[in-house]
Amino acid sequence: MIAQGLDIVTTAAILYAVATGLLLVFGVMKIINFAHGGLMTLGGYAALVTTQMGLNPWLAIPAAALFGGVAGMAIERFAVRPLYGRPLDAILATWGLSIILGQLITIGFGRGVQFTRSPLEGTLDLLGESYSAWRLALVPIAVVLGLGLTALLQGTRLGLETRAVIMNEDLARGLGINSGLVRFLTFTLGSALAAVAGALITPLSSVDPNMGVPWLVNAFMLVLVSGASLFSLALSCLVLGGAQVLVSTYLSPVLGGLTIAVLAAVLLRIRPQGFARD
Amino acid sequence: MPRIAPFRRPLSRRGLLAAGALTAGLAVLGLPALAADAITIGIPVGLSGANSVVAPSVVQAAELAVEEINAKGGILGRPVKLEVADDASGAAGAQKAFDSLIFQKKVDVLISMETSAARNAGLPIVNRGKVPYIYTSFYEGRSCSPYMYVNAWVPDQQVAPIVDFFNGKGAKTYFLIGSDYAFGRGMLSFTKSYIEKTGGKVVGDEYAPMDATDWTAILSKVKAANPDAIITSTAGGAPNVTLTKQLRAAGIKALYGNLAVDEGTAKSMGGDAEGIYIAGSYFTNIDSPANKAFLAAMEKKFGADLKTPNDLSVPEYEAVYAYKAAVEKAGTTAADKVIPALAEVSVEGPRGTIIMNKQRHAPLTMYLGQVQADGSVKTISSFKNVDPGEQCPKLK
Repeated sequence: MIAQGLDIVTTAAILYAVATGLLLVFGVMKIINFAHGGLMTLGGYAALVTTQMGLNPWLAIPAAALFGGVAGMAIERFAVRPLYGRPLDAILATWGLSIILGQLITIGFGRGVQFTRSPLEGTLDLLGESYSAWRLALVPIAVVLGLGLTALLQGTRLGLETRAVIMNEDLARGLGINSGLVRFLTFTLGSALAAVAGALITPLSSVDPNMGVPWLVNAFMLVLVSGASLFSLALSCLVLGGAQVLVSTYLSPVLGGLTIAVLAAVLLRIRPQGFARD
Repeated sequence: MPRIAPFRRPLSRRGLLAAGALTAGLAVLGLPALAADAITIGIPVGLSGANSVVAPSVVQAAELAVEEINAKGGILGRPVKLEVADDASGAAGAQKAFDSLIFQKKVDVLISMETSAARNAGLPIVNRGKVPYIYTSFYEGRSCSPYMYVNAWVPDQQVAPIVDFFNGKGAKTYFLIGSDYAFGRGMLSFTKSYIEKTGGKVVGDEYAPMDATDWTAILSKVKAANPDAIITSTAGGAPNVTLTKQLRAAGIKALYGNLAVDEGTAKSMGGDAEGIYIAGSYFTNIDSPANKAFLAAMEKKFGADLKTPNDLSVPEYEAVYAYKAAVEKAGTTAADKVIPALAEVSVEGPRGTIIMNKQRHAPLTMYLGQVQADGSVKTISSFKNVDPGEQCPKLK
């Protein structure tokens, strides 16, 4: 029972870390950034470069943020901004970009599976269970990410403007808010978060040019049922991630792989706003 | 005759260069056509997709074999050349690759390492085209065609060394983990029956989707069952790596046999792979003159570009020689003569002496190895001429 509980909490933490960047971009720009998977992969390779340079593995996280942020700025400026008026095309453009990112990484690092050093090795004893130390560490990391973003959105001028753009972009612009800048900064931040998520999962996963792809669908579904709220994202990660763990444990991991997508689809049918309050 | 599209723009210098290179290329291609009797070996292989990591090593092994054979006067005095086609590691790509190799390139034989999906998709085309086909990848077993031979291992050969060794170490309970596809399920269902036959007990067997990277729920079950030994058979690459990493991170200490990891992957996994038991018909450290000569020749031909030879590329090398021997025995490349001859000829290769005389499969010497802390594989024991068992009883 304790093992299952830990599985659920840590799974939710991983999903949360993976989905926040996507949620932020979706909230402000109303587009799903399909380059998210590619940006996660980029973060994984940032961790790889950190390992190859023999640096402290914790530095993979800021390195990934830097890689992802810079890539995000370029993507926003050259691919997404020209398509503001055409959200559907923007989604397709990000999809194409994720393919390009994957190929560039393949050219640079090859197709093979690569390995990074983990910041934490081994297990920790918790409540009588010895449990993967890195999975446990992801819980406080996800909480810090969530709180940090909340503080940014609730406590700063930029956050205020971002929330204004999320609520009503036309009105915000009418009030003198530079919504273009807000979009630019949000996309950059979202991309940096995606890359950080990529670096965070490397100790559990392999680093290869497609490593971000399997995460994209689940992150996408979680964002759809969460609206634009960080709190409802946390809730949906716990509920749907928990369901995934339980289905994998008691029925079959094959069905578990479908759980988040299926439940999210059913949820949206019954309650179109999902976990969001409005 | 290929139709050459007229250039729409005036040629730049680079364009001229490219055109020159193209002409030169055509001239080179044209040469064997002049000496119209080159023997063509078709290699459908996964240059893209899941097999793309290992495919280059397979092509290199074939290139070395062809170079060596041509240097010694070819086969029946005819030069040998390769036609490599990408099967994209899957069924759809394999259909195109087989179709083009057999019906357009008119190859004399197909020799290749492929995924089971690609092989199954290609076999009907082989049967239609009536060309000999030597399959050089280990696989889940019991794939039969009158045109196909296999010189790599099947579960009957690979599983026994690991399970026997674990039984000898006192393992009573086993947990099996696999990817949900033909190879994963085929390997583990055989493993399960073999464990039960030898007195062990399977306390759990779990399968995750083929692209799964999250093994959380399965590992919790493993911990709850607390088995003496774990045997895994996942898809290669990412699923295998993630499972190994997460299994280690979860602090599971049971004996760990991995049916899907190869020497190179084990090497790059570093510390996480330490202690894993693997079984195969080829490890690079096999101490035989044939293997040492092969490794030296590979090193010499490819230098820095060498892809480490492995259990998938070495059978390719040997299969080219098996084809050579069969054609020489038959005195012709005619399929109906070459096919029976393939069962009779023996090849002295890096893996030892190999004859594909057991229902289109080959008895193989299998090695049990354990990955060491530095990533090298230590051979623990070898099992001479392990029989492939009943694979294709209906084929003569």
